[in-house]
Amino acid sequence: MEIKEKLQILADSAKYDASCSSSGSKRQNAFGNTSFSGICHSFSADGRCISLLKILMTNCCIYDCKYCLNRKSNNVKRALFTPEEICSITLNFYRRNYIEGLFLSSGIIKNADYTMELMIKTIHLLRHKYHFGGYIHAKAIPNCSEVLLKKLGLLVDRLSANVELPTEQSLKLLAPNKETKKVENIMSYIKNNKSRKFTPAGQSTQMIIGATKENDLDIMQKSENMYQNYNLKRVFYSAYIPVNKDKLLPSLTTPPLVREHRLYQTDWLLRYYHFKTKDILDEEHPNLNLLLDPKAFWALNHLEEFPKEINTASYYDLLKVPGIGVKGARRIISSRQHFKITFKDLKAMGIVLKRAKYFITCNHKYFTNLSYFKKNFIEANLVLEDKIPPINSNKQLSFFE
Amino acid sequence: MNTIYLYHDNFISLLCLIDYLLKNKIKPDNIKDTSYNATLLDEVIFLKIKEDSNIINKIKKNYSYRIFKIMYEVYLSNHDNKELIIYYFFLNTLKYHQDVIYHRNLRCVNLALKIAKQVGNEAHKLKGFLRFKELKNHILYAEIAPDNNVIYLLALHFKRRLPHEYFIIKDKKRNIYSLYDKKEVYLISEDNFNLNEVETSQEEKQIADLWKNFYQTIGIKERKNERCRMNFMPKKYWQYIIEMEDEL
Repeated sequence: MEIKEKLQILADSAKYDASCSSSGSKRQNAFGNTSFSGICHSFSADGRCISLLKILMTNCCIYDCKYCLNRKSNNVKRALFTPEEICSITLNFYRRNYIEGLFLSSGIIKNADYTMELMIKTIHLLRHKYHFGGYIHAKAIPNCSEVLLKKLGLLVDRLSANVELPTEQSLKLLAPNKETKKVENIMSYIKNNKSRKFTPAGQSTQMIIGATKENDLDIMQKSENMYQNYNLKRVFYSAYIPVNKDKLLPSLTTPPLVREHRLYQTDWLLRYYHFKTKDILDEEHPNLNLLLDPKAFWALNHLEEFPKEINTASYYDLLKVPGIGVKGARRIISSRQHFKITFKDLKAMGIVLKRAKYFITCNHKYFTNLSYFKKNFIEANLVLEDKIPPINSNKQLSFFE
Repeated sequence: MNTIYLYHDNFISLLCLIDYLLKNKIKPDNIKDTSYNATLLDEVIFLKIKEDSNIINKIKKNYSYRIFKIMYEVYLSNHDNKELIIYYFFLNTLKYHQDVIYHRNLRCVNLALKIAKQVGNEAHKLKGFLRFKELKNHILYAEIAPDNNVIYLLALHFKRRLPHEYFIIKDKKRNIYSLYDKKEVYLISEDNFNLNEVETSQEEKQIADLWKNFYQTIGIKERKNERCRMNFMPKKYWQYIIEMEDEL
């Protein structure tokens, strides 16, 4: 098989993995280095960043996960890269600045350890024969032995294992060969051994959204637990895209992209804004609002905490204001020690007032008459402002299932 | 009359001039480099000032590295009045020292910070979007046409990244080249450098095609989102991003 065809098959099967970040590691070698903030080299037609050569070692697989293109029972063309082939493509692409490094995952060929050994051989060649210093993200194969996990972790910047689905029941249903426990073992091994030499950029994981019946509360609780227990850098949410037909799988016409977006926003609230899942979702409201972002929705339902005075509110209170992010809050805190902030100053500081203005005062002044500070007025305006997509309005609407 | 002060077209010359003007409490109407075409309304003054590169260390030491970086990035920008903006930023730095960066209510400070950020952003973006091709003699060659003069920042990045490769980067807008000879980075203008042979190596097309094919494959068609892609990768850069050539 020609290398071009191989690359096509093995990139095509790897593309559903959402992770492509190249940040969090400082490495310098004779051929290449990493940038701590990460660098995006291109953006694919779906708007996702391309920073790594994202490929599978092979798409042969002994497993039969219902949602996966490469499941055993699918009749698709199979390919297997040799370690030298992967090295050659990676180095040639890296040298021309197409990529920041390699993302290597794999279907399971023969058994977990055999597959891991192939991956280790490849990455070992890159690091030690070619002195490659670029970013490498590898997927650990569940069920592999700890010795191999250790070997691989010492070679790569990031090592990760995908939980795939939010609950054990779903996993049993759709991925009968996988067990949550096995993935969790890998995650705790990585957590316990992380150092400057072992997976310096930490670990991440991925969940498929919308293939099974879990609600947003289930999903976010799972994420929250994983962030707490395994120090994950990121949880990626991947809107389910039907690639196989199976009676156990839902039949969707479009992937639930808006829902995925809201989950990411909630994820950000957990990681950077000191929110807890229970602040945003509960048994009575187990799903995120699709019309409003989760912070705005939360604020609307906690109007008693607002408006916040920009010149005196604490950092944590500023973070609760819709439209104010981590950078904005920091900027406000450092500036207000030097002068009293007005609405005009906020604008100059680059803080977007579109949402924020409803929830703040500057020197005790509201942006309009304070009698407008009412739930229905604010809600109507927030929804309206969100609803005016500049172009392609019909395309946007089709996102809603 | 507009009083215009001139400096040699380099950063140190500009800083020394501004330093001199501030020390002598001179308020210029504008500051321009020597290529400036004066109009009838201009009074052009070219002072003989000792140019000392030590001024950079002074700024870093007396204020902060960040202050120096902001001034340098504004200098690299394509803003018409960048010199005057640096002058007023410097003026406020004398007053507020390293805390000047928190005074965003001052127009000139805010403007300097904004411009510096734009320049930094463009340099960062191009670290990803720049594409090398291999010439017949194995030298890596890339062309860019950035809004701001970020070629030197890029060359330093690639010097760290590919220390054992020869490379040439060309800024097509400004007609300057940046060369790296496995030791140092040099900036050379077109007048002093003649590159008539940019014939690519034999395997170049093959590898570029392999990459284009990968690029086409990796996009998920059910998630196609043109606006999102354009936001992250503005069209003005496409002409140098090889995988985008066919879509132009």
